[in-house]
This record gives sequence, C-alpha cells and structure tokens, in this order.
Amino acid sequence: MHHAYIDKFAYQDSPIHRLDGRVKFIVALTFTAVVVSLPRTSLSILTCYAVGPFTILVLGRIPLRFAFKHILLVCPFILVLALTCPLYDRTPVNVAFGLFLWQTSLGWMRCFTILGKFIVTMLALIALVSTTRFSNLLTGLHKLGVPKLLIIQLGFLYRYIFILIDSAHHILRARDGRKLTNLGFTAELKIAAAMLGSLLIRSIDSAERINIAMQARGFEGKWRSISKLKFRRCDLLFTLSAASFLFGLHFFIKPILL
Amino acid sequence: MSKAIEIENFSYEYPDGTLALCNICLNVEHSQRLALIGPNGAGKSTLLLAMAGFVKGTGKVFIDGLQINKKNFKKIRTLLGSCLENPDDQLFMPTLFDDVAFGPLNMGIEAEKVKKRVTEALKTVGLEGMADKAPHHLSAGQKRAAAIATILSMAPKIITLDEPDGSLDPRNRKNLIKLLAALPQTLIIATCDMNFAATIADRTVLLDEGYIIADDDVKKIMSDSKLMTEHGLEVPTQFKNGNYHNFKS
Repeated sequence: MHHAYIDKFAYQDSPIHRLDGRVKFIVALTFTAVVVSLPRTSLSILTCYAVGPFTILVLGRIPLRFAFKHILLVCPFILVLALTCPLYDRTPVNVAFGLFLWQTSLGWMRCFTILGKFIVTMLALIALVSTTRFSNLLTGLHKLGVPKLLIIQLGFLYRYIFILIDSAHHILRARDGRKLTNLGFTAELKIAAAMLGSLLIRSIDSAERINIAMQARGFEGKWRSISKLKFRRCDLLFTLSAASFLFGLHFFIKPILL
Repeated sequence: MSKAIEIENFSYEYPDGTLALCNICLNVEHSQRLALIGPNGAGKSTLLLAMAGFVKGTGKVFIDGLQINKKNFKKIRTLLGSCLENPDDQLFMPTLFDDVAFGPLNMGIEAEKVKKRVTEALKTVGLEGMADKAPHHLSAGQKRAAAIATILSMAPKIITLDEPDGSLDPRNRKNLIKLLAALPQTLIIATCDMNFAATIADRTVLLDEGYIIADDDVKKIMSDSKLMTEHGLEVPTQFKNGNYHNFKS
C-alpha cells in the first residue's frame, strides 16, 4: 500500500493517546459545536479557540505539517463556499486590529470566518483521529449509545476503504501501463466508466466473500465485542481542563474581544 | 467412529448452468492432511465451500457425523473452520484482537476465556503482541497467519484452507508450512502449488472440471508425471529425477 493513512499517528504513545476515546470524542464534538456557533464576525476569538487543538496536537506529538496537509486536501470544497460570500454581501464594515483600522465588506469577514472555523474544527478532528485508534473510537461510540448497525458500517468503511483505494490504484496503474496516447474526452470517459464498474463489481464480490467469512465464524446478525475502555483519573483531568478552556473563552475572553 | 468429512454423491452447478462439482464422493479421516490439487477452475474452492455448507447442491455432506443442514449449521461452524483465499476477506474487523475474538464471541464464550483464546491463537501463529494492530498495517505473511489465527481461536476439529500459500515469499511460505505442520487438526488444503502440497499433505485428491480424477497418497499421485501433465499440473521437485512412480500400474 502506498497511500498515507489518516490514522498514521494513532498508534503512537503519548498522554493524549492514552486517554479514553469517549472523552476525546465528546470534547471534540463539544468544541466543534461551540466553534461553529460563534458569531460570523468573530475572527479574533477564533484564534484563541485554535490554541486548544494546537495544544493537543503538540502534546500528542502529531506533526503540524501533517495536520495542515490534510486540511489542504479537503479545503477546496470550503474555499468555493467561502469565496462566494464577498460576491453577495458587500455591506461595508470597519475592522480594527491593534493600531490598524481599515474598511472591508461583511462578505469578506464571513469568508475569513468560514475559513477560520473550518481550519480550527478540522484541527480538532485531526487531533481526535490522530490520537485515537479507530477501534477505540468505535468502542467509545458504541459505549455512548451509537446504534450497533452504524458502528458496524463505520468499522467496515475503515477496514475496506484502504483496500478499495489500493484496488483503484492498481486499475489506474494497469491503464497507465497500456495508455500511450490521449484518446479524447468520450473515449476517456468510457474507460473511466468501465474502471468504476470494475471497481464496483470487485467490491460486490469482496462483500460476498466477507459475508461468507463472517458466517463461517458463527455470525448470525448479532454484533458482539469485548470493551477495553476504562475511565481513569487522567480522563477526568482532561475533561475538566477542556471544560475550563471552553468555559473561560466563552464567558471571559469572548465578551472582551467581541 | 464418524469420519471428519464424508461427502456422498455431491454435485453442484453454478447459476449459469456450468457444472462446478460432479458426483463427488470423499471421506476424510480425523487428523488427516488432505491436499486438493487441480488446475484453475477445477472446483477446489467450490468443494471447500460445499464442506462448509456455503454452496447447496445435490448429495450429502457430513462433518464429524453431522449432516450439513439448517438445523446443524451452528454446530458445524464450531467443528469446521474455513480460511478464505484472500486474507483481506477474512480480516474484516478494525483490530487483530477483534478479528480473532469474533468467532469465539459468536460461539457464546465468555469474555475472559475469549481473551485467553485470542492470546493463544496469536501466539501459535507467531503474532503475539500484535493484537492491537489494524489488519491493513500487517504484511502479506502476517495477514495469512492472522487469518489462520481467526480460525484457531474457535478451536475447530477441521480446518479448510483455500490457497494458503498464495502470494507468499519463500520465507513466509516456510513459516506457514511450519505452522500448518504443527496443527493437530484435520487439514483440507486447496492449492495449485505442488511443492507446497507435497510438503504439507499426506493424501492428495486431484480435481479437474468438477470431477475427482485421482485420490491417493501424495507421492503416488504427484510422481505420476503423465497424470499431472494431463491435468495441467507439474511434478513437484521432491518427486522428480528417479523418484517416479506410476500408481496406476
């Protein structure tokens, strides 16, 4: 396999890695909800919120370059959304930063807020995924009451997405090995459709074989697992620290900056 | 005493009408190591699926004296463990521990005993200390060993393996042979690698186009170069040069 894993650093060992998956999930979820609900012109407070995920990434020894690389990978979708804001909202606003004062439009403010919120919440998500093994996250979600069917689906998605990516790479390589010239848009589209079809058939075949493997090991539709999660003192400490951080920003820092 | 596997006049056709298995009669004794050999499309994998009850044809299949039917399906799962050709199909859980524990948990075994079984199974296949690894982080040889561990943790009497040596390098193949040789269970191994089959098995069944062509001692069948060549196979290295023996004569 030649592709990078999103959970590449989840198998490291650090105080953050050792925390209960449930705690990290709840903190990340609450953090995301708080950041998303911030007012649309709250750029300065966003930088304060960014301190949280940055601290987790540093304590978890996750390279910031890795985090930003993944943010860059998914940012085109948000960029399109953010860059449309200045087009439809041109209400002028005055912006002050220390001694500097300038005028801009509300659309640009919204654009930067959307991008800021996206970066901060993505950092939180990457911090969660990079410091928690997916299996622990699934066990945590199960313990938090997420339906078993969804857990199974997520488990399969995580397990087979890499195999699917590999299959796609193999098909692309096979095509590149025999493709000597550009065949034109229609022909290329036909080839792409055939490749996608082949990938779909392979996936269906795999699903059938996995079903056989599951039945062969006594699976009758009931999902059983052994939980390995424990809520310890360090989890309580982390929860309290995260709560103090969010509480402090919301009630003390936010009123000053807004 | 009942045999490990008894197959009586079993036939199976694919949905498109192609004959996959025709009138198969086969008895396998307990603790026997049987190699199912034959060219591609001979029906080896289908026969293994039939032994596990995954293909339903005409005729009867008995596992340790129990006939395969809906009523006995659960019991048969605990008697016969199937290891599929592609380990990625066999390893479907997020961690190795969960994968090896999957079978015992479905058998209704309590958590502590399951943990013990998982540890033992992983130790047997040489993957101790790797329980928390994700299957996609394992090498091809480790995946193959892990796939066998998922079966061993269920402690079946019979194990079927479909092309277990596929895509393994010589070192990993050697490790696999060592592992399989140490297993006390009845082994049914479908393979196209004659050297592998000759090393591991004590009995061979040659299948071609859904028919059993020959069923005898490994050496007798595999040293018959005419028979092997006729069915698109080759004589393994250990039976070449002077070891030739024609069992038909």
